[in-house]
Amino acid sequence: MLELDQLIQEAHVRAAASESLAALDEVRVHYLGKKGVLTEQLKALGSLPAMERPAAGQHVNRAKQAITELLDAHRHELEQRALAKQLASDAVDVTLPGRGQDPGGLHPVTRILERVQALFTSLGFRVEEGPEIEDEFHNFDALNFKPAHPARAEMDTFYLKDRPLLLRTHTSPVQIRALLKHGAPLRVIAPGRTFRHDYDVTHTPMFHQVEGLLVDAGVSMAHLRGTLTDFLQRFFEKDDLKLRFRPSYFPFVEPGAEVDISCIFCNGTGCRVCKQTGWLEVLGCGLVHPSVLETCRVDTRRYSGWAFGVGIERLGMLRYGINDIRMNYENDLRFLRQFR
Amino acid sequence: MKLSEQWLREFVNPRATAGELAERLTLAGIEISSVTDALPAIDKVVVGEVLKVARHPQAGKLSICDVRISAGKQLQIVCGAPNVRTGMKVAVVLHGGRLPDGTEVHVSQLRGVESQGMLCSARELGIADDHSGLVELPVDSAVGKPLVQVLGGADKVLEVEITPNRGDCLSVLGIARELGTLFDLDLNLPQCAPVKPTIKDTLPVNLAAPEACPVFAGRIIRGLRTDAVTPLWMRERLRRAGLRCVHPVVDVTQYVMLELGQPMHAYDLKQLSGGIVVRMARAGESLQLLDGNTHTLEPDMLVIADSKRPLGVGGIMGGTASSVQVDTRDIYLEAAFFPPQTISSRERKLGVQTDAAYRFARGVDPTGQTRALERATRLLLDFANGEPGPVNRVAGRKNAAAKLVLRQLKLRQLLGIRVPEREVGRILSRLGFRTRKRAHTWEVRAPSYRFDIEREEDLVEEVGRVFGYDRIPAIAYPSTQRMLPLPEQQLPLARLRDILTGRGYQEVITYSFVDGPLQQRLTGGPGIALANPITTDMTEMRCSLWPGLIQTLRYNLNRQQKRMRIFECGMSFIPQHDEITQENILSGLITGSQYPAQWGLPQRVADLADLRGDVEALLVASGAAERLEASAAPHPALHPGQSAKLYLNGVDLGWMGALHPILLREMTLDQPVLLFELRLEPLLHGRLPKLAPISPFPSLSRDLAVVVDERVPAATILGLVREAVAPQPIEVYIFDIYHGPGIDSGRKSVALSLILQDSSRTLTDEAADATVKHVVRQLQDKLGATIRD
Repeated sequence: MLELDQLIQEAHVRAAASESLAALDEVRVHYLGKKGVLTEQLKALGSLPAMERPAAGQHVNRAKQAITELLDAHRHELEQRALAKQLASDAVDVTLPGRGQDPGGLHPVTRILERVQALFTSLGFRVEEGPEIEDEFHNFDALNFKPAHPARAEMDTFYLKDRPLLLRTHTSPVQIRALLKHGAPLRVIAPGRTFRHDYDVTHTPMFHQVEGLLVDAGVSMAHLRGTLTDFLQRFFEKDDLKLRFRPSYFPFVEPGAEVDISCIFCNGTGCRVCKQTGWLEVLGCGLVHPSVLETCRVDTRRYSGWAFGVGIERLGMLRYGINDIRMNYENDLRFLRQFR
Repeated sequence: MKLSEQWLREFVNPRATAGELAERLTLAGIEISSVTDALPAIDKVVVGEVLKVARHPQAGKLSICDVRISAGKQLQIVCGAPNVRTGMKVAVVLHGGRLPDGTEVHVSQLRGVESQGMLCSARELGIADDHSGLVELPVDSAVGKPLVQVLGGADKVLEVEITPNRGDCLSVLGIARELGTLFDLDLNLPQCAPVKPTIKDTLPVNLAAPEACPVFAGRIIRGLRTDAVTPLWMRERLRRAGLRCVHPVVDVTQYVMLELGQPMHAYDLKQLSGGIVVRMARAGESLQLLDGNTHTLEPDMLVIADSKRPLGVGGIMGGTASSVQVDTRDIYLEAAFFPPQTISSRERKLGVQTDAAYRFARGVDPTGQTRALERATRLLLDFANGEPGPVNRVAGRKNAAAKLVLRQLKLRQLLGIRVPEREVGRILSRLGFRTRKRAHTWEVRAPSYRFDIEREEDLVEEVGRVFGYDRIPAIAYPSTQRMLPLPEQQLPLARLRDILTGRGYQEVITYSFVDGPLQQRLTGGPGIALANPITTDMTEMRCSLWPGLIQTLRYNLNRQQKRMRIFECGMSFIPQHDEITQENILSGLITGSQYPAQWGLPQRVADLADLRGDVEALLVASGAAERLEASAAPHPALHPGQSAKLYLNGVDLGWMGALHPILLREMTLDQPVLLFELRLEPLLHGRLPKLAPISPFPSLSRDLAVVVDERVPAATILGLVREAVAPQPIEVYIFDIYHGPGIDSGRKSVALSLILQDSSRTLTDEAADATVKHVVRQLQDKLGATIRD
């Protein structure tokens, strides 16, 4: 009996001394292998008197089990140690910057255009586009600009050489195209490039507008006010934004108005941006002039409509603080990256 | 237009500050863009009378003046002005006073003589440009009176921005009418009663072009004093309106124009021969106008002529030869009406801009000529004497104002509010409309001075703007709109933008007009030229986005941005005979290293395959990447060995390539630049995905390297492999291209990886090997390929 206890003790010591799984396996073979010490003892049981065999067998088996357990335990420990070592050597500096391409971004004008578009498409407006080289009919005549009227001259139009065409001075011609194509009732917005012969801090010869048009039965100035209030409050994310309608003149609307919003920088109390007036001019609008509807073969006894045109760079100026509109078209990457 | 508040208040005087008037006008559509002080700060400046002038003993140019500044008080003032003389009324700055430029005046010693104040020129006082001598105040100015009062008292100047439809508001009268309507007040009109003629002289007027000049009125005034000076109050008002004083007669016509809105012209009577003929110009006629230039007249221009020659261009500008001079005693005063339609184009042709033409182009009251003549005559006679002749007014047919009907229902429908009927009537009649109330409607006739009232909607605006747009509520239009169609096979442009930005591209927006020579260099042909480009380097409409991208590249390279990935989407304009194709295109440019500098990734300059990867990524969105074909083709902008025309499903898609080295050199660019340009329309054709069965059987992969002639395109090899295996599906990709030891020069080794799979059974190694063998045979037969082990 003592021998077996000693054997276990001895196996324990040898297992603990094993630094590798291979060494540990040698220990296992030594005790439990085919010719191992305990295996030999089991074989030797046959030579014992029959009476003693069961008890001796039990002893040997118990020793065998004990050694198996202690070997397993040590194997487990060795495996844990190996894993820990591997994990330690795998560790990286997680604060290192990531690898790969640096994403680009959209132009601020595109950001604003998409924002305006999203707001109006959520109201069921479809997006229409038109040509940028236009003719006099769509850009002026159909929009009720009389041939010699000063309003026409004030548009600072670019004309093509040797062709009776011009660069559209506003996105309003798309109203005409959309009405002729789809008829009433209609809700469209028309984003796009427009051109006027002008260049300073607040004017570039090319700029962007979004035109909005709603033609339906019984449309009034109150509806125009309703939609524009919603639009501007959502656009600037200010539910207390106030609108002011100032009568104004655009040949293709009657009544016509310019819309001011309460200054978003000072909440209407007066500041440098709003020149102490508390108001900022943002867009022009009105009820579609009946002669425009007639030109587009819309039954004016049944339908009326509203239209507005908003300058995208102006919105970008108010929203993002781009005070010099010319920066939009210098395309300085250090400028553009700020709108990613 | 600038106007004095004081002048306005002579016509109508609401109980409101200048700021409040401005606000009300602005909210009624007459925008007041600024309200400023009419006079500079001139404190402690009074009227003085020069009693005595003596020469300064030490300085020949200086005088020592005794100046009386009140009943019992006089000052000794040293003065250098040449025009100082005894009895003159002058502006005296007292001790402690301050000039508008900030100069403080104190008692001081000037070359040993005490000076107790300062005598001023008009410029020193900030009221005119004249600095030739002391400002001479009217002889009847009361000594000691503050100068501000002599000048008409404190006043504000309103800057008015009039929209082009409201010519009727280009005068004190017009603005006063608006204020009278807004504040419900009657107007006090200036004295315009007929001036009794004292002589019988008239000029015959022949209205030979009544369409272009339906009304012409004139009168002779003889015997004007040549030493008459425009009264100070009138000069001040003109100054406050931003006009310069020129000549007493001209000043009066300008004054009347500002006041009543009727432009006038004065002729030197002795320069006229025979009568007045209002006619179209004759071919070849020319005339020196008051701008000093001799203009060739065209037959569509209206002239005011005498029996011999044209005198001026009607409604636009008078001629030099017949204009009033300093010694003019007898004049002919003209007030006419020229209809708006033709004025602006003639003004443009002549290249002149005048206040008269500005007003005629926007509409002048066709009934106001006689009134203006009478007003001007009275003003002129008041200070320059003269003997007026009778007014001779000649007029063509008069158009009666059309009758319009305003329905209460329409008013309510368009404004979205109910305006009380009494209010509607009041607004319209205050504005000068003649109205007659019927049941639920008004019959309305517009006044002669309104050129913008043609239909019912115009009346709605009139009522609405005066009643106040701010009283209109905000109401959402009730929607009966159905959901919009959403075609899934039409890709939104935003998707393509997102793909590019995700791959490191920054969107740019460049001008649609570009430098003509640069564009021609890049595209090989002229684009569409502008008739009036804004600068000499924006002369043509772009037919490619590359000129804009390259300009952007140069701009940023000059700012130390060496690595760039940019794209733009926009319209191109391609001339095709008489037509212009306007098509949206999507273009990109990359230069510098493929990846930003970073750890653990060696720097590598972006090449054409990088660019092509981006193009293919765009096509993945439409499910067409594998149908992209690139074939080597020459392009004027591109390196001949790195230039490809792109096709999608056999249809033109665009180009990609490296910018030609010669262009790089010309533009002093020292790094390769890669470009693509794609038609947008095919890119936006998406597809509706349809699930294909996924084979449950394992795939096998085989690699092989074939050596082929250098010039064999990769696309040919890949195409042959797919063809050889068809109809079995196969994935094949190139994992290496090798030149160098072991490969003959002029040939290249292309390493391919094939992934084979069968959809109906597990592919055996034998079957896979057989397939590869077949592929190899095809490559050998068709391309002369050898296998590299």
